[in-house]
Amino acid sequence: MKNEITLHTRREFLRSTVLGSALSWTVPAFLANTFAALQAGAADAATQIATGKDATILVVLQMAGGNDGLNTIVPFANDDYHRARPKLGLSAQDILRLNDQTGFHGALTGFKGLYDAGHLTVVQGVGYPNPNRSHFRSTEIWQTASDSNRVEKYGWLGRYFDNCCSGAAPTVGVTIGSQMPQAFFAKTPTGVCFNNPQTYRFQSHGRPGPGGPDVVEAAYEKMNEVETIAPPADENSGGSIGMLAAAMPMTGGKAVDFIERTALDAQISSDRVHEIAGRVQNQATYPASQLGNSLKLVAQLIGGGLPTRIYYVSQGGYDTHVNQVPTQQRLLKELGDSVQAFVADLKAQNNLSRVLVMTFSEFGRRVTENASGGTDHGAAAPLFIVGDKVKAGLLGTQPGLAPQDLFEGDIKYTVDFRSVYAGVLESWLKTKSTPILGRQFPPLQLV
Amino acid sequence: MLKPLSADRWNDETAAHLLNRAGLGGPPAAIRKLADLGPDRAVSALLDYESISDPTPAPDWAQPNPDEIRQFRAAIKSASPDEKRTLQRERQRLYQQRMMELRGWWLQRMAKGPRSFQEKMVLFWHGHFATSVEKVRNPYFMWRQNEMFRRLATGNWLQLLTEAGKDPAMLVWLDQAQSRKQHPNENYAREVMELFSLGEGHYTELDVTEAARALTGWSLDLQEEKYVYRSFIHDSGDKTFLGRTGNLDGDDVMAAIVAQPQAAQFITAKLWNFFAGEPPSLELNVALAAVLRTNDNNFKPLLRVMFRCEEFYAPSVIRNQVKSPVQWLVGTSRMLECELPPAVVCWGLLRSLGQDLFAPPNVKGWDGGLAWITTNTLLARYNDAAVLVQGTKESLTADDFTRRPGGPGGEKIEKAVQRIHVGGVDPEKILTPDERANPDTLVAALEHRLLQCKFKGDQEKALRDFLGSKTKFNDADIQAAIRLVMATPQYQVT
Repeated sequence: MKNEITLHTRREFLRSTVLGSALSWTVPAFLANTFAALQAGAADAATQIATGKDATILVVLQMAGGNDGLNTIVPFANDDYHRARPKLGLSAQDILRLNDQTGFHGALTGFKGLYDAGHLTVVQGVGYPNPNRSHFRSTEIWQTASDSNRVEKYGWLGRYFDNCCSGAAPTVGVTIGSQMPQAFFAKTPTGVCFNNPQTYRFQSHGRPGPGGPDVVEAAYEKMNEVETIAPPADENSGGSIGMLAAAMPMTGGKAVDFIERTALDAQISSDRVHEIAGRVQNQATYPASQLGNSLKLVAQLIGGGLPTRIYYVSQGGYDTHVNQVPTQQRLLKELGDSVQAFVADLKAQNNLSRVLVMTFSEFGRRVTENASGGTDHGAAAPLFIVGDKVKAGLLGTQPGLAPQDLFEGDIKYTVDFRSVYAGVLESWLKTKSTPILGRQFPPLQLV
Repeated sequence: MLKPLSADRWNDETAAHLLNRAGLGGPPAAIRKLADLGPDRAVSALLDYESISDPTPAPDWAQPNPDEIRQFRAAIKSASPDEKRTLQRERQRLYQQRMMELRGWWLQRMAKGPRSFQEKMVLFWHGHFATSVEKVRNPYFMWRQNEMFRRLATGNWLQLLTEAGKDPAMLVWLDQAQSRKQHPNENYAREVMELFSLGEGHYTELDVTEAARALTGWSLDLQEEKYVYRSFIHDSGDKTFLGRTGNLDGDDVMAAIVAQPQAAQFITAKLWNFFAGEPPSLELNVALAAVLRTNDNNFKPLLRVMFRCEEFYAPSVIRNQVKSPVQWLVGTSRMLECELPPAVVCWGLLRSLGQDLFAPPNVKGWDGGLAWITTNTLLARYNDAAVLVQGTKESLTADDFTRRPGGPGGEKIEKAVQRIHVGGVDPEKILTPDERANPDTLVAALEHRLLQCKFKGDQEKALRDFLGSKTKFNDADIQAAIRLVMATPQYQVT
């Protein structure tokens, strides 16, 4: 037992000394804040330490592939809509009515329930100027909060980590999945990702070496606590890589530094995640789907007090060029039911007031359906905000669908997505949005 | 720019670098052999694979099978809804078995085949024209595409781009087979420019819609399982695409694309990034693109220059690339001279590491580079190393896989898994008696074979301590030591 504590401390020590300014959840929040404030050069870098107990939490839910917003929040009474969608158009009897113009897709019973309970906001017509119809570029734009003609390297959540979370535990950002989203890319790599807590740890394997599994694990820990970690390499300079390689002969420069850092984060976070997932029980029934499982795990981690400010989950499959109806039906059903279960779970934990869910998709789809029973890449679309204290209802205005209201056949945005981000940052994460988004966007009033 | 590496820098380190990057690595003896050849002949030994015979037979189902399809369709037509479901499930199971066989077939070619550079190129093209069986759902199409990449691995850019577009798997994957002149589907028209040949910003939205019109007619004969041109769905009106006007068709679109100087720069930058592990500087890329263009857009001469040039052997390039999961798996088996595990195990391993062959995450392929490494995939590498090296004491069952994260679901591999055995590494085969008895020489041998660089900080001491905790260690302990070396940050780069 004593040995365990020493090891734990050693890891923390390594992280804090080697990687600079890192403090763990074992340090009282006020002390951590003090140190961070002392170190922070920039005046507006108000460090947000996640304690796992009281801070607010943002869950970002990506609907990958470009969800057809028009058949999600349906203008069922609009003639232009039905003219453009003779086959795919949904009528009054297909939808869950919100008012005499608009309704949810029939599969979104989960969202309708949340909406009626005052836990869901629909933000209509979200997009950005000069929309890009490429999945990858448009996703990148959403992930980095950049203008469509400018390429940004770091993600908007990464910039939040850089600005507000220096010194936080690596779990301040958690992605459920095996790939880190670009939204997390930061100057100082932050955040961990995993999809199954049961296997998210070093396993000694069936055949222990001399002295049993503990010896193997101890050796693994030592071999991954490399003391010569260099400071993060300067962005983009070939020169600095050469210098690094020269200073540490035969170690291979930049890639290895990054892996060493990740190895340390993995060590530090895996025990904690494993412990929580083994202890905390879900108190709601989730649909058996990837998204359902992801949100189930997030609820456990929140319930177990993992010090996290941002969770990131995703659901794919929305690229419905062909035969859209059954695919979208299945995906939206899964989405609504999963989020509804998540909210019920958090409510039972008494944590709902701390959590906000925001969805996004890289674009909506073309107003006019194509000949393959599907829709092609489009532009603006609605997104959803879910939480205890949200301004429930429909926010923003539904953009017009008449041919003269469209741009190259696509819906024009009425709300810039960065106004949604600004609203989330300012009113939910309680931080200034300008340093993170690069300039001032009028924050949307969400809560 | 692109000056040949001087012969006096040709040694074990540079030879290992060439073998790791242009091929899939190998044991010390293979590196020694390349080092002895000198740089010109070493590059040629890998690149001029046409002279090496590769007798690998195709899987026996790898051909169009119109009878099978006709029978299936007829059976479906007359079946009740319940029977229909059964028939479809049976076919799905058959296709899944074939896909598993296909994965194993390709991985074996990479691990044991005589043309490792050709297979590395196939892997590049698979990541470039990233096509997934998840949507294509036809093992024969996936095999056919894989063979096309092999046939044109170092061939001509225009021919490759054109054949890739008429490839059945691609016609399904990006919906081109569904495009009609009344409503052209833009999916392929857009991606062929954005992701395969020019890159975002080098064409207009009008180019996309016009290319979509021109491409109508490229279609798929599902019965015969092959590409077919259907003139009645082709839009024969005038289109203007990348400055050319006329009744353009798909071939015209491909020719217009490859005629753009950007098409050369786009692909040379991607090739350099794949093999050197970092994007080329603008100056370097301009030089690379010039080589491609002066050689009539044939890749072989370009690749020869690439693997021969000083820039490829720069200190910032050597040992600074994260191994892709395939490189990690296949490279390990080559380095440690052990068999690859059965296909289903390889599948589970690669999925847990983030590279499911024949099922890239999307049409952009795998991001690669540092993106291979997350806390999740790093721990998976560390744990998967144990399976590869230490093997399985008892045979695995389907249950072992259903418990894996992201591993094959029980319902997917069914009971077909039966009992699977992973042999692990044989220390006797790769280590001398002295190395197997003496911790000092053992640690040095593992460092040389596995890391190809020095241990860092306390790593060597930790490994010594591990071995030293017993006076005499056995083969199982050596396997555990190999696994520990693989569970370090340095092992993840090449």
